[in-house]
Amino acid sequence: MPFTASPLVGGDAYEMAQRLALEVDAELSALSDAGEQLACLRRHWDAIAGLGWMATMVAEDAGGAGGDLSDVAALACGAGRGGLPLPIATACVVAPALLAAAGARDMLAQVAEGAARICVILPDAAQDPGATRLSFDRTLEGGVVGVETPPDPTHLLLATKAGELLLLSVDSPGITRSLSMRIDGRLAADWHFVGVAVAQEQVLARGIADQADRARDLGALITCVEGVSAMGAIIEQTIAFLSDRVQFNAPLASYQALRHRVAEMYVEYENLRGLVAHALREAAATDALPWRDIALAKLRLGEAGRLVAHETIQMHGGMGLTEGVAAIRLARRVMMAEFEFGDRSFQADRLLAQVA
Amino acid sequence: MEVDYEAFRREVTEFAQTRCPPEIRAVVATYRKLSRKIWQPWQQILHAHGWGAPSWPKQFGGTGWDPQQRHIFDEVMAENDCPPQYHHGLRHIGPVIIEFGTPEQQARFLPGILSGEDWWCQGYSEPGAGSDLASLRTAARREGDEYIVDGQKTWTSHAHESDWMYTLVRTSKEAKKQQGITMLLIPLNSPGITIRPIRTIDGWHHVNEVFLDNVRVPVANRIGEEGKGWTYGKFLLERERLGGANVAPALKNLERTRELVAQELAGETHRAKRAALELRLLLAEAELRGALALGKEAVAAVMEGRPLGLLPSVLKLSTSVTHQHVAEVAMDAVGERLAPRFRRIDGSGPNAEAPGIEWVQNYMYMRVRTIYGGSSEVQKNVIAKQLFGS
Repeated sequence: MPFTASPLVGGDAYEMAQRLALEVDAELSALSDAGEQLACLRRHWDAIAGLGWMATMVAEDAGGAGGDLSDVAALACGAGRGGLPLPIATACVVAPALLAAAGARDMLAQVAEGAARICVILPDAAQDPGATRLSFDRTLEGGVVGVETPPDPTHLLLATKAGELLLLSVDSPGITRSLSMRIDGRLAADWHFVGVAVAQEQVLARGIADQADRARDLGALITCVEGVSAMGAIIEQTIAFLSDRVQFNAPLASYQALRHRVAEMYVEYENLRGLVAHALREAAATDALPWRDIALAKLRLGEAGRLVAHETIQMHGGMGLTEGVAAIRLARRVMMAEFEFGDRSFQADRLLAQVA
Repeated sequence: MEVDYEAFRREVTEFAQTRCPPEIRAVVATYRKLSRKIWQPWQQILHAHGWGAPSWPKQFGGTGWDPQQRHIFDEVMAENDCPPQYHHGLRHIGPVIIEFGTPEQQARFLPGILSGEDWWCQGYSEPGAGSDLASLRTAARREGDEYIVDGQKTWTSHAHESDWMYTLVRTSKEAKKQQGITMLLIPLNSPGITIRPIRTIDGWHHVNEVFLDNVRVPVANRIGEEGKGWTYGKFLLERERLGGANVAPALKNLERTRELVAQELAGETHRAKRAALELRLLLAEAELRGALALGKEAVAAVMEGRPLGLLPSVLKLSTSVTHQHVAEVAMDAVGERLAPRFRRIDGSGPNAEAPGIEWVQNYMYMRVRTIYGGSSEVQKNVIAKQLFGS
């Protein structure tokens, strides 16, 4: 029996998420028109909201399911195998964590029922070189780019460097945006703010910089879970491809050079899987988030994920450069994950700051 | 009976910190070469405490610990710079004698291993049989109550300070080369044995060539049946599969290399180089933390009687390379000033070598990690076979 990856967190939710992700992938890969793709994403966003994904971590008294991190991890595991192009970590973990930290119960309820589609801007969001830095002093000025967003966002949840948490309607005067598709087929928005007036009641909280860091780390952990899942699926699909494809009168799977490369992919995958499983266990066992474990895992995701992504492209040959191959679409998901919730430099800097 | 593992860890820690002599720990901490001179007194201390054989059953003088306890023991020892116990007797031939030896053999050999009085080495590899061990050609022919052994072993670690060599020899030529192999226990003071050191790239003396020229070995020194040696040899290697689960020595090594980098490259002049090396160490640490988590999974699997699957191969592959990466960082920190001073030629005595030269030796030595104990290439073959299903 060839290799089949076992999920970090299995169960019904995992199975359901996987089925859904594969359906969406099949549907999306048949579309080439951006408008149709957007509509498809929106439809599936509504579907997962209807299934209660975004309510998973919201407390029961705020209208949620009162689940824990492993419930979201099960969803992320399943979604990761199909590269579901929706912002799962942000929607299921980061936004709820920020809103809970601010005690914003009404908004949490709206998130839980899917009425609010929130784009979260974290303090370290990317900016174009030379652009006006994002600043907030009664009005909001500046811009951020490439921020992952749900389809048709209704709100912006913005955590400032100073530790404020702002909730703005996307239609507020002075806000403009432009949408893009990321390398993994998810949506991203550039946001520009010119003299955006922020009322007192739109400042949900102050002094929550630590909670914002925590929310980002939770997001990083879920991204790692998705990444591990995607890598497992990539290895399975690479093995299947090598076993089927015949060149020089023999299946590619018979060539030792290629077999060894797959073994290397597997070792990297297993090592990361162990680390992420450990971080998940620690996160469940302690109140304090194991940020160091998460940072190390995210660092490794950058290294191991890229190796697995590059190797599957190489071993698929010319096919590896096409969007038509599922393993290659997953590889792009893994490549994008590097830049979510702190890339390798970011994680290395904070870990090294602790060593020094 | 339920074991309190935390209490056990505390007990072992206290023992390690109070009973392992500082001079022995200093040797481990500075990467000086371990030899019988260091190991033997440590084994005596452990034995006197009843901890001479952590992996043996109680009736043979072992501790009867479960895999989790053994793992904790190994981990704590490494964390406290206690030498890992000399393995050839305790972990290799001892368990084989327990499993396949006669009562006479058990009575003759096990006590000496426990007390550290008898020192063992392994006669497996030959010039023509390395990773492909079954190709071995050292031959034994039966003459009455004796075998006459002729041939050559190589890479024989510690033969120069050992009393005995457990040896795989060919007693017949069969169609399948794994058959016709027999395991003999050979005293190294037997007439006809010549031991020559091999000069290895690290400058340490650990391996040797062992020449066997008409060496007479009593049949009573044969383990099990004639021709079944491969089974016993494999049993021994199988038992070692959890060895890679102990990542503690590698983490200790990493910590020490971090200190080296901070001291060696202190100050503004070296800022960029220091940052580059620190980053490499961090990447190594991330990998080791992954291996550490997998090691825990492996121990848990053994505790619950589940198969280990590919975990040992994965651990071996990844930790061996990470060990090497860490050693490379140390080499990059000190290489410019120490690599040129590898061997002093105008001085002698214990202080003749440049202080810190062990970092250079250790870097050289670490190259063996991906070669011994099943080379990386062999491990990848094993993994691929399983992944592809053929």
